Amino acid sequence: MKKIFQLALGIITSVGGFLEIGSVTTSAQAGAQFGYRLLWPILFGTICLIFLIEMSGRLAAVSKHTIVDALRERFGFPFFFVVLVGIALVAFMVLIAELGGIGFALQLLTGISFPLWALPVSFFVWLLMWKGTFSLIENGASLLGLVTLSFAVAAIKMHPDWSGVASGLLPTMPEADKARYGFLTVSILGATISPYLMYFYSSGAIEDEWDRSYIPMNRVIATFGMTFGGFLSMAVLVAAALALQPRGIQVDTFPQAALLTTTALPRWGFYLFALSMLFACFGAALEISLSIAYFFSQGFGWNWSEDLEPSKNSRFAFVYTLIIILAAIPLLLGVDPIKVTMMSMALTSATLPFAIVPFLFLMNDPIYLGKFRNGWISNSVVAIVILISFALALISIPLEIIGG
Amino acid sequence: MKRFLVVPLVLAVACKPPTAAEQMDSILSWVSTAGMAGDAWLRHTTPDKYTRQTLELSDQTLLQIGADLLKSPPPSIDSAVLDSVLTRSRFHIAQMARLVVEKNAPDFQKQLDSLRLDQKLVKELAGSVGSSQ
Repeated sequence: MKKIFQLALGIITSVGGFLEIGSVTTSAQAGAQFGYRLLWPILFGTICLIFLIEMSGRLAAVSKHTIVDALRERFGFPFFFVVLVGIALVAFMVLIAELGGIGFALQLLTGISFPLWALPVSFFVWLLMWKGTFSLIENGASLLGLVTLSFAVAAIKMHPDWSGVASGLLPTMPEADKARYGFLTVSILGATISPYLMYFYSSGAIEDEWDRSYIPMNRVIATFGMTFGGFLSMAVLVAAALALQPRGIQVDTFPQAALLTTTALPRWGFYLFALSMLFACFGAALEISLSIAYFFSQGFGWNWSEDLEPSKNSRFAFVYTLIIILAAIPLLLGVDPIKVTMMSMALTSATLPFAIVPFLFLMNDPIYLGKFRNGWISNSVVAIVILISFALALISIPLEIIGG
Repeated sequence: MKRFLVVPLVLAVACKPPTAAEQMDSILSWVSTAGMAGDAWLRHTTPDKYTRQTLELSDQTLLQIGADLLKSPPPSIDSAVLDSVLTRSRFHIAQMARLVVEKNAPDFQKQLDSLRLDQKLVKELAGSVGSSQ
C-alpha cells in the first residue's frame, strides 16, 4: 500500500514538477513562431528523458550511489572536476532564469517590477532550503505545480487541428527562418533533457533509501511522469500556436507569454498562467539549488542530505546559500530572465555529452549494476542522445547568436 | 586548418544585425501584443497594472525598432507610410495606456479599433518586406 502511494505521488510530482521557465518559454516561442512544427523535439526529448531518468533511479537503487558519487569514484577527481565546472555553471544560469521567472510571475500578479522581487524571492527559496526537508521540496512544490495542467485545458479548449498536431510530431524543415528553427530545436531539447534532473532524481532515490525492490516503481514513475510532463510542454506549444501565431505575436517577453491562456480561459487564464509560472519556477529553483549543492557535496565527498540539520552538513548548506545569493545579483541588475533562459537552454544542449557519455559507461559497468546493466534498447537511446547532443553542441553557439 | 577559418566565418555571419523582415515581424508582434492586451482588458480578464505596463512596453519597443528600421528602410516599402503607421500606432497605444489609468472603457475601445486598422496595415507591410527578401 505504501508503494502504491509512493508510485502515485511519484507520477503526480513528476507531472507537477516537469514544466519550468525553460520548457514554457521555448515551447511558447516555438508555437508562436512555427505553429505545431516543433512538437517533435519535445517528443524526442521526452523519450530520451524517460530513459535517462529511469537509469538514474536504477543506478541509485542497485548500487546505492548517486550519479555524482559513481562518476567521481569511477573516473577519478580530475575528470569529474572538469564535468563539475561545466555542468554547475549551466545549472547556475538555469537557476538565475528560474528565480527571474518567479519574479516575473509576481510582477504579473502585483505590477511590481521583477528586479524588486529578486531579494525576497531568493530569501524565500533559501529559507525553504534551510528549514525544509527533501520530501517537502520534492512533493510540496511539485503538487503546487499541478496548476500547470491549465495549459492542457487551454490547449484542448482551443480545439486544435489534431492531424496538424500529429504531423508536427515528425521532423520537417520550414521554408524560411531555418536558423531560428534550428536554435529553437536546440533550446527545446536543452530544456527537456536537463542533466540536473538526473542528478536530482538519483540523489532523491538515495535520500528516500531506494533498494532493488523499487526498480519496477522507478520504471513506471519515469515512464508515466515524464510522458505526462512532455504532454504539458506540448500543450504550451499548441496553445501558443493557436492563441499567438495567428496574430503574429512572438514571445520575446513575459507580458507577451501571459496572453497565452487569455483566449481559451477568459476568466482565469491570466491568473492561471501567472500561478503556473510562479509554482513551476519555484519548484525548479528549489530543485536546481538542491542539485548544485548535491553535485558539489557528493563530488568533494562532504556530508549531504536535505533532511539533515544545516549544522550537520554545513558545507552542503553553504553551497546552496552561496549560489542563491549569487543568482540574485544579475536579477537585481535587471538582467532579462528570458534571454538567460534561452542562452542556458542552448548551453545545456552543449554540455549534454559531458554529462551523458560518462553516465553511459557507468550504466554498463557490472561493478555498479551487475545484472541490472543497460540493455541494448537503453544503450541505443543514450547513444542517439549523445550523437545528437554532439551535433547540437557544435551548432548551438552560432545559432544562439543568429537566433538573437 | 580549414576548421579554424570556418569557425570565425560562421560567427561573423552569425553576428549579423536583424534583417528588415525580422524587424517588421517584431513591429507586427508588438502592435498585435498591444491589441490583444487591450482586448483582454476590455473583457476584464487582466489587471490594470499589467495592461498599462504591457502597453507602455509595446510603445517603447516600437519606438526603438521603428527608429532602427527607418535608418535604412527596406526598398520594398515606402518609408513615409511606415513612419506614419508607426507614429499612429504608438499614439493609439499611448492613449490606451492613459485610458486604462482612467478606467475609460468606451474611449479605450475607440483607440483599440483604430489600432486594429493600423495593425492590418503593419501586417501588409510585413508581408511585402518578407516576400521581397
